[in-house]
Amino acid sequence: MKNLRALPLLALLALFHAAPLHGADTPTITISKSDKLSIAIGSITGADSAQVVKILQNDLAMSGYFNFVPAAAAGFVVGGSSNGGSLAGMVTDRGGKIALSKTFNGSERGRVHQFADEIVETLTGSKGIASSKIAFVASRTGHKEIYVGDPDGTGVRQLTNDANISVSPKLSPDGSKLVYTGYKSGYADVYEIDLGNGSRNRIIKFPGTNSGAAYSPDGRSLAVTLSKDGNPELYVTGAGGGSPRRLTRTPGVESSPTWSPDGNEIIYSSDDRGAPQLYRISSGGGSGRPINTGHAYNTEPSWSPDGKKVAFTVRDGGSFSVCVMDLAGGGSRTVAAGEGPAWGPDSRHLIYSSGAAVILLDAQTGQKTTLVSGLGKISEPSWSR
Amino acid sequence: MKMPRFSLVLAVCVIAASFSGCVTGKKPTAGGGSDADYVNGTPLPERQEGVSFMSPNVDRGRFHPVYFAFDSFAIGGGERGKIDQVAQFMRGAPNTLIVAGFTDERGTPEYNRGLGERRAQAVREALIRAGVDGSKIQTVSFGAEMPADSGSGEGAWAKNRRAEFGVVR
Repeated sequence: MKNLRALPLLALLALFHAAPLHGADTPTITISKSDKLSIAIGSITGADSAQVVKILQNDLAMSGYFNFVPAAAAGFVVGGSSNGGSLAGMVTDRGGKIALSKTFNGSERGRVHQFADEIVETLTGSKGIASSKIAFVASRTGHKEIYVGDPDGTGVRQLTNDANISVSPKLSPDGSKLVYTGYKSGYADVYEIDLGNGSRNRIIKFPGTNSGAAYSPDGRSLAVTLSKDGNPELYVTGAGGGSPRRLTRTPGVESSPTWSPDGNEIIYSSDDRGAPQLYRISSGGGSGRPINTGHAYNTEPSWSPDGKKVAFTVRDGGSFSVCVMDLAGGGSRTVAAGEGPAWGPDSRHLIYSSGAAVILLDAQTGQKTTLVSGLGKISEPSWSR
Repeated sequence: MKMPRFSLVLAVCVIAASFSGCVTGKKPTAGGGSDADYVNGTPLPERQEGVSFMSPNVDRGRFHPVYFAFDSFAIGGGERGKIDQVAQFMRGAPNTLIVAGFTDERGTPEYNRGLGERRAQAVREALIRAGVDGSKIQTVSFGAEMPADSGSGEGAWAKNRRAEFGVVR
């Protein structure tokens, strides 16, 4: 993250002004240094304080909301004491008034991430991303396997070890579970893994291909592509994969459902009219309405948790770009070269894959950070909420 | 290359119109949702326990693959003869069949899995129209995985956009 502060402000501003190429732009793009809160990390006591400061500083920088300044000039000063597996964190404002005081438990990194998210939420009202989880497909072993990790790129571990084809991971909103498409049976089935105890179940195994499952925001339903009725269509099932209810009925291919934050709607990709386009449908059923993105080939939509934007992959002249569209105002803009965008809990950051890397993008500033590399080709990233 | 699909939908609407008067008045391709004018494919049979496309007891070399144009699941005129050969065999044999759909590497992974499945289903429907019992035909999609030619370029891609036949022995 050190590049963030190393980049001259003028260059950043030039970048923003150069970026909008596709008509009406979203209002989310303007942020200047003065919009950021000035913060200082003051005294953190305890045997592991150096490590705590390092993680905290990285988390707060990654949030995009803060400028680090000397304590005397800071609007807010962070302090705390770390001992015996708990972290007592505190934030005071310029007048010495306590803005936040709370004790965090959990793993060594986990409790610092929680503190960072609490600081972000208290001071900005926006949800933090530090405690969330990411997942993706990597081919390091020679087979596509599922990996999970933290959104700062640490704690990455290989989740599946099937030496087969394991793809399309989607984390549950709370990050406690993950569904993916696996070919252990020789067919594409949907598996669910409990990330706490590691248990795995094959939850959707209808005839044909079962793939692309995505949890509803309340975690009680899955949207998924099934071909059991003679064509790949979208269905909504219970959390355990039971009682599928058919949503679409077209001669084309429906794929990659993503839920609105209230769970009432689903955006997906369909090639019903030729090349794949984005559509929007009630999760209760009805007709899919096309979303005009201005691009010919649109797949892998991700609906932002604030409900305002959809990020998706565009194929143009043989290469892939990540685009973001404002659902109220229309108009999409290309934000990066890459594939498979997934919004973070703050609806500000995206992760996407680019060759052999998972990239973190701050969609407000355009700042890009490589989170994961060295695991072979990477695809289909997912982010919990 | 999408014309055959459009024509099919149009034909279905025309047929539907002759019965129902097409009362919705919607364009035939206005769908994407559950009230589109589309007649279902034929539901798949239950899977045979322990048998899949890559199983040792499946003969994957007996028939030639059916090839497809980019981002299309329409079966070209030149490919029909291959399907007729499979249909002729299947009509007289007790065997079951697994049709596996594949795509080239251009395209995003989940869409490719759907497109591969759609290709397998298009071939299955053609076999059913040629008189094969649909309850004997299962489908699977591998998307862009397991390319027939691991190279890049149209030569390799053309070989990878395919549906393969696996005869269960």
